[in-house]
Amino acid sequence: MGKIPSSFRSMTSTQLVKKPTTFPPAPPPRDFRNRVSGRESVKTPQNTDQGSSREPLRNPFKTPDLSDAKSLFNSIASTSKIPLDLKFHNSVLQSYASIAAVDDTVNLFTHILKSQRNFSPEPSTFHILLSHACKAPDSPLSNVHRVLNLMVNNGVEPNQVTTDIAVRSLCESGRIIDAMDLTKELSEKHSPPDTYTYNFLLKHLCKCESLSLVYEFVDVMKKSFKVEPDLISYTILIDTVCNSKNLREAMRLVSLLGNAGFKPDCFLYNTIMKGYCTLSKGSEAIGVYKKMKEEGVEPDRVTYNTLIFGLSKCGRVEEARKYMETMVESGYEPDAVAYTSLMNGMCRKGETLGALSLLGEMEAKGCAPNACTYNTLLYGLCKARLMDKGIELYGLMRSNGVKLESSAYATLVRTLVRSGKVAEAYEVFDYAVESKSLTDACAYSTLEISLKWLKKAKEQGLVV
Amino acid sequence: MLPQRLKKAITDNPKKLGNLIDLVNLPSTLREFLGQSQISRLGCFMRVWSYIKTNNLQDPKNMNVVNCDDKLKRILLGKQRVDLVELPSLIKLHFPKEPK
Repeated sequence: MGKIPSSFRSMTSTQLVKKPTTFPPAPPPRDFRNRVSGRESVKTPQNTDQGSSREPLRNPFKTPDLSDAKSLFNSIASTSKIPLDLKFHNSVLQSYASIAAVDDTVNLFTHILKSQRNFSPEPSTFHILLSHACKAPDSPLSNVHRVLNLMVNNGVEPNQVTTDIAVRSLCESGRIIDAMDLTKELSEKHSPPDTYTYNFLLKHLCKCESLSLVYEFVDVMKKSFKVEPDLISYTILIDTVCNSKNLREAMRLVSLLGNAGFKPDCFLYNTIMKGYCTLSKGSEAIGVYKKMKEEGVEPDRVTYNTLIFGLSKCGRVEEARKYMETMVESGYEPDAVAYTSLMNGMCRKGETLGALSLLGEMEAKGCAPNACTYNTLLYGLCKARLMDKGIELYGLMRSNGVKLESSAYATLVRTLVRSGKVAEAYEVFDYAVESKSLTDACAYSTLEISLKWLKKAKEQGLVV
Repeated sequence: MLPQRLKKAITDNPKKLGNLIDLVNLPSTLREFLGQSQISRLGCFMRVWSYIKTNNLQDPKNMNVVNCDDKLKRILLGKQRVDLVELPSLIKLHFPKEPK
């Protein structure tokens, strides 16, 4: 829909000749060639506009003014030798909609409808108007309703595609509640959404609104319109409650899902496991893993990465390492994420040097460390007061152009200042600013606070 | 993974952030040095620090100390040698807290 078909593109050039003040004919038109060149000799376009002509070529409508648009359309319609088809009318509306208000677009539509006898609008025509109306920033849905009414009056029944377009356009412009209301209304009057639309809306609702509202919506859809949540809907809901650390609710949803006759898949298990891992509940995470095995769901890379991350996080590094071996046995080569999680665990345990040697091991296996790996290690080294190694690693990061994360940066600066290496701290500050790792204000305030601390310590005689 | 609270420390406090990045009308001494009439405290620090770097004013024997040239001396309380540790606080002197 976004692209202007060739039949319409040629119209651009006809129009260019008619309005000599606006634009010269830039690219050669396709099928209107002879006609255009005939007129060119009469009116030569002004040279001053030549430079700026290429940019707005795609949209033949230069102003959102309705009467201009109407006369432009009339002139095309009267001069065109080939019959104008639906595709052409759609692209006219599309182009005009991109610059004009909803009212004007609707008016242009009615104008086309009246002036062109053979034009019978299809759903696609109304969908253009609808998506435009949904994106217009008016708070009540008056414009949307207007287009829907227009649609019904012209004998086109809104279908699932209509619902989908309306919901997506509304969500795109951040009007989630409106989208929900409209879905309910459309379900009541015309057709309920399909699963894709439903899940799309559900995801956006979960992101922005309260859980009670989401549940209410799910309930209404289920009871009134027989739209049942599917496995994906449940996964979205479980993910949301897991992110808000409400594991009990997640478990309730899992049992609901079982009752509805769905079998959790690998993705869903991963979601639940992630929930436990962010809460540092290692045993439960392992429990999920075992359950997967029992149910015959094969764990994938994400499962192992999550598990290693979770176990490292709650300090069970040995087990994490064991699962890394299991991961290799199941045919997944550990990636940077797995290694970084394990390093993080080791750093927390105080085995910083072990973590550093893991970096070597990882590189030897051909797995490139990412920014997070470096930052984790740098953080660990600074915390463990292994300054020399830390500076060495920082040098490596610098030469590789790796960005600093704020915590690693802050720890490095603090440790440097504490050991009296103020010039080095300034140098790290320069790098952080230069590589745009942090905002200037962030980087500076960290430096300032560290320096302030040193000054005070010096005054009190704590540091020489 | 890494502690999150550090990230928020300063930029979350609008007062402190404003104190750092708001433009301030400068006193004449600074105006002369920077060649402009308004700058933020952060901007001023960056300018002074880059001035030190471009003119190689750090003491080659002890990089933590700056040997001020005449121009720099004028804005840093007339000191001959300035410790890098003091630099932010010396600059801060030019940006007194605004009385309410």
